[in-house]
Amino acid sequence: MTPVSRGFHGRRRSDVDAARVPPGQYVVDDFPVLSAGPTPHPELDQWSFTINGAVDEARSWSWAAFLELPSETFTVDIHCVTKWSKLGTIWTGVSVDQLLEDVETSAEFVTAFSDGGYTTNLPLGDVTDGQAWVAYAFDGEPLEPEHGGPARLLVPHLYFWKSAKWVRGLTLTAEDEPGFWESNGYHNRGDPWKEERYWSD
Amino acid sequence: MREVRAETPYAKTLVLDVPGWPGHIAGQHLDVRLTAEDGYQAQRSYSIASAPEAADLELTVVELADGEVSSYLCDELRAGDLLELRGPIGGYFTWRATDDGPLLLLGGGSGLVPLAAMLRHRAAVDAAVDARLLVSAGRIDEVLYRDELDGFARSGVAVQCTLTREQPPGWSGGTRRVDAALLHDLGPEPDRRPRIYVCGPTAFVETVAELLVEAGHEPSLIKTERFGPSGGG
Amino acid sequence: MSTADHHLDGNAFAAVLGEILACEPTTAERICQSCRARHRTGEHLAYGGAGLVLRCPSCGDVAARVVQLPRAQVVEFRGTWVFETATAP
Repeated sequence: MTPVSRGFHGRRRSDVDAARVPPGQYVVDDFPVLSAGPTPHPELDQWSFTINGAVDEARSWSWAAFLELPSETFTVDIHCVTKWSKLGTIWTGVSVDQLLEDVETSAEFVTAFSDGGYTTNLPLGDVTDGQAWVAYAFDGEPLEPEHGGPARLLVPHLYFWKSAKWVRGLTLTAEDEPGFWESNGYHNRGDPWKEERYWSD
Repeated sequence: MREVRAETPYAKTLVLDVPGWPGHIAGQHLDVRLTAEDGYQAQRSYSIASAPEAADLELTVVELADGEVSSYLCDELRAGDLLELRGPIGGYFTWRATDDGPLLLLGGGSGLVPLAAMLRHRAAVDAAVDARLLVSAGRIDEVLYRDELDGFARSGVAVQCTLTREQPPGWSGGTRRVDAALLHDLGPEPDRRPRIYVCGPTAFVETVAELLVEAGHEPSLIKTERFGPSGGG
Repeated sequence: MSTADHHLDGNAFAAVLGEILACEPTTAERICQSCRARHRTGEHLAYGGAGLVLRCPSCGDVAARVVQLPRAQVVEFRGTWVFETATAP
């Protein structure tokens, strides 16, 4: 039996719009760093972004070519499964729609893969139609390595572990293939508004 | 919670009454879990400060800026409140007087807490083990247990303190970050095979452990414990 | 058939597993599946991502992953683990 800790409220605040905070989340002003492994520091001239798997032809961009792609700057709220949310974050990056333009595929899922071996899986429908980006700037500055730089996936409508740091590509797959956390206890989809945190949710 | 005691402007010692406490070994830690009325929970690990021989169980908590759990423990918790604990935990970063020595303890900031438990244990069992302690902190008012450190020194522990950011007038201790010369002054020589315990922030622990290996200490005799982000702030 | 495999009921294994889980974890040693280095658990590097990740201090490969569910712990152990059964204190 867990006793309630008198006077303990956690980091809950009254000065934020409650309608923007999913159930069980609290709002932070800082940007917590959570990481499943050491921070990689790839040389940008060695860096590339790849679309492969069940596609007509694999595509790859160098860092320079990636920066040439049409980019967007957008403001979104982000929600980490460890219960912090950060509202109104400003990012710049390339939409996944842009990256998949001209790609022919019958795949229904993607696995994002990263430097350091991290993976996360998503239905294709969750990363298209303006819902996901590969972001390389935060708040107008180049994305810092500890926050996933040089580039990270950004899928703000799902819990933040889906927004893979240090992302290097997307593998399109016919079958859903659970990623690093999805295969070890975390929810396969991770919708914060439905509190899809764990396998048991 | 029986009593709370201020150690520094930034740290408090919680004196706890724990029915059925199974006892612990100096150096072990425990987990504190807080639960809000709506079921929200937060959990952090804290080193046990008291000696195994002490009547009360004590934790020393340094209040972190924006620390969800530490600020609750330091500011909100009052005598009579209940705390959910899990422990003791850890069998690696531990020392018993019967393990003998020499003992070389190096603590950065709140990394002093488990080391203090070891020295309190040494004192409680009246052990004559050669013991040396290095305390590194930013400023004098961040040094935990200052009076007690003098007591340790009187009981034969070689105590050195280095203040890396700011020193009070007339300060006679160290003034720089731990380096090879400081470690050499503190001793003991690697060929005496001291049992070494290093505890503190990750950067402190890594630097000190590296210096110790370079000085010729055997890596297997160096035990480290890092304080770092535990996930979720 | 003479080639019948001599398996026992899984409950026999469960008893052994229970004994292992009662061991002191920080002094357990692990031989890495990747680089074969042998280190105590306490010497490994722990990362707090969405869940907890333990990594080999020699090669950085994953040693264990833990996700704490409300009523369960989901655990993956990798490599070979050596648990001391003489219990302390």
